[in-house]
Amino acid sequence: MATTSVATDKKTKFTVFTIEECPACGQKTKRPFQTGDYITKDGAKCAKCGNQTRISLIYAEATKPA
Amino acid sequence: MVLQTGGIDYTSLLYALSFLFVPVYIILGPRLQVYMALNDIGRGLSRLKLMKDKARKETIDYVTTTGKTVGDPSPRIDQFLDYVTIMPVDIDPNGIVGKIDHVVTVRDERVRTEVGDLVSDKNPVTVSVSENLLEVAGALNNIHKVVRHYYLLGKKTNSYFMLLQLQMIMPQIVQEADALLNAVDTFKLAQPVGDGIGPVIASRYMYGRDKQVVAKDTVMSISEYKGRKLYVMKAEGPMAYVGQPGVGIKHIIDDMGVKPSAIIMIDAALKLEGEKTGEIAEGVGAAIGGIGVEKYQIEEVASGHKIPIYAILVKQSILEAISAMRKEIAEASDKVMTILGRVIEEKTKEGDNVVIAGIGNTLGVAQ
Repeated sequence: MATTSVATDKKTKFTVFTIEECPACGQKTKRPFQTGDYITKDGAKCAKCGNQTRISLIYAEATKPA
Repeated sequence: MVLQTGGIDYTSLLYALSFLFVPVYIILGPRLQVYMALNDIGRGLSRLKLMKDKARKETIDYVTTTGKTVGDPSPRIDQFLDYVTIMPVDIDPNGIVGKIDHVVTVRDERVRTEVGDLVSDKNPVTVSVSENLLEVAGALNNIHKVVRHYYLLGKKTNSYFMLLQLQMIMPQIVQEADALLNAVDTFKLAQPVGDGIGPVIASRYMYGRDKQVVAKDTVMSISEYKGRKLYVMKAEGPMAYVGQPGVGIKHIIDDMGVKPSAIIMIDAALKLEGEKTGEIAEGVGAAIGGIGVEKYQIEEVASGHKIPIYAILVKQSILEAISAMRKEIAEASDKVMTILGRVIEEKTKEGDNVVIAGIGNTLGVAQ
């Protein structure tokens, strides 16, 4: 199930993103977080070299300041 | 100009009345302040009630939908929320850390067993998230109960000073409760939290290597860095565990016979107002929070073997530490890796052993 998770505090809205990194060419892909993602989990094939990517970071980014 | 109508000197009358204001204020002033304090605290208390009810509801929803509990879990969860841990007597001259450790371990084991029985989905992530949600809901329940106690006590005794103290700390209490409530969504989605920055760093050294269990919920891998042998440990992810780094480090040194030249701990640290999120601080000493048992164990083993402890800290607020990891914190990981490399090179030499501990909740961070 794909979900874009949004965390909020009083002033700012946050969207959580997953970063997939290719260990071969270093290409990083940013996409919305999906339930079941975790750091070191295998990601999609690298768009640049076709190698297996790996989730290197998951973080919340401010999207809409009030 | 003097106001005078029909023989009445209004100016003098007002002047005389103004003297009445002083005794009236002396008598009624404190009552007015009590009234205002009660109003203020009452508003905060209502917010706390909403928060604890929401956390309870979210926990029940998670346990029912994701945990696939059979039947209505509400009565069992309500029992959990009032769960009490009785700390050992603190007048013991022989040291109470071992006793605290024992009590806390028994509590953790009991909670895990009972949560395991409650949820039908035995996925360890689901069980650990359920444990954490119960902990958050329990903490909010406790905060609400304690604040309500002092609110009602102050109201009953008309004690202005009791209410004043409560009124003064109320914004901080609500802020902390807000942080706890924010953590609920993050835990439910099993996203890494700000506190997980230590495990993020450790996982980079551990990925693709053999892991061995060195303590409850704690794993260790051996890797190499510029001729040094690194014993890297973290809580076992992607579950919402913090592990037992104290027991783990003791196991590596005492049981495995490793003689490290340094212990390097990476952890999240609470920032002061004005400090930036994601700022990195270096230092010495055991970088670990909690009740103090793990810190004691690490200090004991390090001082016993004369091993220096170095700390690398990533600054964040309490809200950021328990909600989804902010970009600034995640992006600090590359800088932490650089600093860690420098510390290893400066403080140890080729052929040395180094213990690296990534401290924190490892939810959403595997290895």
